[in-house]
Amino acid sequence: MNAPEISDDTILETLRQVIDPEIGCNIVDLGLVYSVAMDDGVVTIKMTLTTPGCPMHETICGGVQNVLHELPGVRDVQVDLVWEPRWNPAMMTDAGRQFIGARI
Amino acid sequence: MEVSLPISGAADSVPRSVKAATGPTANAPSITLPLRFMIAGLMALSTGVIWLIAQPSVLTTYHYNQNVIALTHLFVLGWICTVVMGAMYQLVPVALETKLFSERLAKWQFVFHVIGFVGMVWMFRRWNMTQVGHFGSALTFGVALFIYNLIRTLARVPKWNVIATGVASALGWLTFAVLAGLSLAAAKISFDPDAIPNGTVVAMITGISRVVRQFEPLSAMHAHAHLGAIGFFIMLIVGVSYKLVPMFMLSEIQNHRRALVSIVLLNLGLIGTFFTILYRSPLKPVFALLVTMAFIVYGWELIAIVRARKRQPIDWGIRYFLTAVALLAPLSILGVVLSWPRLPLNAFTGQLENVYGFLGLIGVISFAIMGMLYKIVPFLVWFGVYSRHIGKAKVPALAEMYSARWQAVGYWTFLVGLVITIATTLRMNPLCLRIGGGFLAVSVASLLVNVASVIKHFFRPQLRPFAAPASAVGNRL
Repeated sequence: MNAPEISDDTILETLRQVIDPEIGCNIVDLGLVYSVAMDDGVVTIKMTLTTPGCPMHETICGGVQNVLHELPGVRDVQVDLVWEPRWNPAMMTDAGRQFIGARI
Repeated sequence: MEVSLPISGAADSVPRSVKAATGPTANAPSITLPLRFMIAGLMALSTGVIWLIAQPSVLTTYHYNQNVIALTHLFVLGWICTVVMGAMYQLVPVALETKLFSERLAKWQFVFHVIGFVGMVWMFRRWNMTQVGHFGSALTFGVALFIYNLIRTLARVPKWNVIATGVASALGWLTFAVLAGLSLAAAKISFDPDAIPNGTVVAMITGISRVVRQFEPLSAMHAHAHLGAIGFFIMLIVGVSYKLVPMFMLSEIQNHRRALVSIVLLNLGLIGTFFTILYRSPLKPVFALLVTMAFIVYGWELIAIVRARKRQPIDWGIRYFLTAVALLAPLSILGVVLSWPRLPLNAFTGQLENVYGFLGLIGVISFAIMGMLYKIVPFLVWFGVYSRHIGKAKVPALAEMYSARWQAVGYWTFLVGLVITIATTLRMNPLCLRIGGGFLAVSVASLLVNVASVIKHFFRPQLRPFAAPASAVGNRL
C-alpha cells in the first residue's frame, strides 16, 4: 500500500516548529529550507545554515528529522545540507526578517 | 492540514539520514568539560572581587607586593585562564570544524590547573616562593597538557585559516608566559638557600635564576605579564572573534588579509614589546605603537564585520564584547604613554601602571569574557538539555534562558564600577575604591544570577508541547 502523500506546504508548516535556538526564529522563516520533496514516504529536505561551522548544525538537522517523522506516512527523512547558494537575508520571509530585524 | 505533535513523540528507532559533512556539534566535547572550567572561573572571579573590596589597598599602592601579585594571579589564572581554557576546549573544535584530540587529557588538566592556581595564589599571599614554584609546576604540567591537546587538535584542522593562526599564536605565547613565570619564581627561590632542594633540581633552578637575575625584577615581571595578557588572552580574543562575532551577528569577515595583518602585527609587536620591556630599551614606544596598530587594524575589521551584519539588534552579550574591544583604545594610549623612556618614576606613574593592568585584565579581557559567557554557557546547557528534544517539543531559545534585564544591570554597573575604580586608583583613595569594587561586585552578581538561571534548566527543563504549527514564527526573544 502506498503511503499518503503530504503537500509541500504541510511539510513547510511542520518545519516551522524547528527553531534556530541562537536566533530564536524558525528555520523556514529564516530561509534555511531550500526545497522539500516527498516520494513514496521519503521526505527530502535541501537546506542550509546561516554560517558554515554553526555549532547547532546537528541539532537543527536532528530537529528536522524528528518533526517530520511525526507526519503520517513518512518512512524516512533525508536532510541534504548544502552551502551553495550561501544563505543571505533576502532568503528570509517577511516574518523572519521582521523577527530578527534583518537589514537587506 | 494541521499537525500537532506530542512531546518526545518520535521514536529513536526510525530510520534517518543526514547527507552532510561531519557536524561541528559532534566535534565538541561533552558539555560538562567546559562547564566545570566556567564554574571554577566564576568562583575565582567572585572571590577576586570580594578581595578587592576587602583590601582596596591592592590598587592604591604600588603593584610590586605579595597581595597585588596574589590577587592578580587569582584574576589571571583563576578567572581568566580557567574560563578561557574551558572555552577553548569547546570553541576550537567547533570554530575550526575538527575534533578535540583528548577529552581525558582536558579533565586531568582541570585538576592540575585548579590545584596549581589555588596553591599559587595562597603561597603568593604568604610570599613563599618555594611553594609558588611547586604549585606553579603543577599548573605548568596542566598547561603542558592543554597546549599538547590543542596542538594535536590544530593538527587535525582541515583548512588552515586566520582563526587557526590566532589560536596557534596564542598557544605559543602561553607557553612562553608560563615558562617565564616559572623562571621568575626560580630566581626568587635562589634568594633563600634553605628552600633549595638538593640534586639536579638545584642545578636547574640555579642556572635559570642566574639568567633571570641579569634582568631588573620589575622589568622581568612586566615582560612576563605582557606575554600572558596580550600574547595569550588578547591574541585569543582577536583570533576567535573573527569566527564568533560574524556567527552571532549573521555577518562575515570583510577582508581576510586585513584580519591576518592584525594578527601578524600583534605577534611582531609582542616580540618587540617583550624584549624592550625586559631590557628597558628606549625602543619600547616603537613596539607599543606596533601593538596599537594591530589593535587599530583589528578594530577596523571588526567595525566592518559589525556594519555588514544582517541581524540588526545587537544583544547584550555582544555589547559586552564590543565594549571591551573598544576599551583597547584607552588601554593602547596608556600603554604607549607608559612605554615612554623619559616618563618620571614617581607615585603617579606607579598608579598609572596599576590602572593599565586593571583596565587590561578587568576592563578589556574580563568584560569580553563575560560577554562571551552569555553565549557559551547557555549554549552548553541548552545543548545538554534540549538538543534531543528539538523537533519533538517546543524548546526555549538561548536568550530565553536568562534575563536581559540582569544583563543590562551587569553591563552598566560594570562600566560605572570600572570608571570609579580607575579614578580612585589614580587618586589613591581606598575608601572610594570600595564603591567602585561594589559596582563591579553587583555586575558579577548579575552574571552569577543569570548563569544560575541557565543552569536551572538542567534540573527544570522548560519543554512545552507544540501548538498548531501553522502560524508559528518562533519563540520571541
